[in-house]
Amino acid sequence: MSVVEEHHLFEPMIVAFCCNWCSYAGADLAGTGRMSYPANVRIVRVPCSSRVSPNFILRAFQRGADAVVVAGCHPGDCHYVSGNYHARRRFSALRRFLEFVGIETERFEIHWISASEGNKFAAIMKDVTDKIRVLGPNRKLRDVR
Amino acid sequence: MKAMLQKIRKEAASVLASGEADLVLGWGKGPLWWQSYPAFIEEEKETGSLTWDPFCVPNLSKYLLEELWVKQKVALFLKGCDALGFNQLLQDKRVDREKVLIFGIPCSGLIDPQKVERAGLHQGLHSVEHQGGELVFSYKDDQKKEDPSSFYYDKCLTCRHPNPVVFDMMLGDAVAVNPQERFAAVGELEKQDVSERYRYWERQFSRCIRCFACRNVCPACSCRECIFDLTDPRWLGKANVLSENQFYHITRAFHMAGRCVDCGECARVCPVDIPLTSLNRKLIKDLNELYGEYDAGVEPEKEPPLITFNPGDPAAFLES
Repeated sequence: MSVVEEHHLFEPMIVAFCCNWCSYAGADLAGTGRMSYPANVRIVRVPCSSRVSPNFILRAFQRGADAVVVAGCHPGDCHYVSGNYHARRRFSALRRFLEFVGIETERFEIHWISASEGNKFAAIMKDVTDKIRVLGPNRKLRDVR
Repeated sequence: MKAMLQKIRKEAASVLASGEADLVLGWGKGPLWWQSYPAFIEEEKETGSLTWDPFCVPNLSKYLLEELWVKQKVALFLKGCDALGFNQLLQDKRVDREKVLIFGIPCSGLIDPQKVERAGLHQGLHSVEHQGGELVFSYKDDQKKEDPSSFYYDKCLTCRHPNPVVFDMMLGDAVAVNPQERFAAVGELEKQDVSERYRYWERQFSRCIRCFACRNVCPACSCRECIFDLTDPRWLGKANVLSENQFYHITRAFHMAGRCVDCGECARVCPVDIPLTSLNRKLIKDLNELYGEYDAGVEPEKEPPLITFNPGDPAAFLES
């Protein structure tokens, strides 16, 4: 298969870790509000953005994700009071660290999406998918066996 | 050097004789010139086998994790970098300060046997010791004097705490602190393009044989149950593929984020010379930049950056 053909057939696989209380409800609102967003997104529901361990993100890349999005409540709105404050520190460090070992920053994004922001959820997922379509498939960290 | 050795033996003998400690952790000499191994001394008459030479590099504090299960009180000798590691274990609540007696040793740098070998000085070598400002290499019937600065471990060149930060009794006088810039290698890598950097780390990680020496030696790696050993869920597979190596190294370094004392032991023990300090230092540098200066191991009462927060924290991503 030529590079051009492969690029033509390429459909990004995006894994989104959404917090149960805000972003998952935001995704739900996007659905009930009949807003369309790309079908490339696979949502994993987690209790809180701080539940997401860096292992989850690495594992997603190993098993074929082209980009990973972590979405949580806006700072100050966490259901568990301080979970997303911890997540902000942890993923800020991780994002810079992944860039240091050679993963493009576009492939790992963190967003704050509240339960009422269905349109924002749809817009972000569209934006990430478009960026990854341009960037191409991810081969880094991939477990090829 | 000789004076320090006498002090070490004297203190070890006196704490064992008085019953103040029931075990002394020190260093003993192996059969070859570069072998200074951890020694576990329980009898006063064995203290004569303790040694102190420029190869006494193993950090003894991590042996406390096992020894304190069975011993009432342990005395041990800590150099500057070891004391930082001890403080980290203390902060992680893995050792009881009351059960440990620490003799601090100010250390002006230790000698890398590989550098001695590369300089061609190892043939027939009997012993190496510091004398004044010089390093004396003793052979069967002659001696060579060299400038020690070209033989120090890489980690000693950037050492910021040569004098122990925690001790019950200090043996010897404090030495001068004169570290090189420790983030130089990180800065060089940061200048590169992201895919260039990926190729660089790919080359490094592909050499890894997953011997876990870097994990086992690390004073901040003290979990009773390590995720790399778990079989359910099996986070780290057994297959020899690059992806598993990358997973191991990224996770290992990130577990040390905000807790790495930058003692450089991981890179020293690596049998395939992966520059692990660059990974740890990148995290130290970023966390210092983003969330304020924090020097792990220096003040064990202070909270590490990743277990606390401020509502007004900056983020390394676009917040909207």
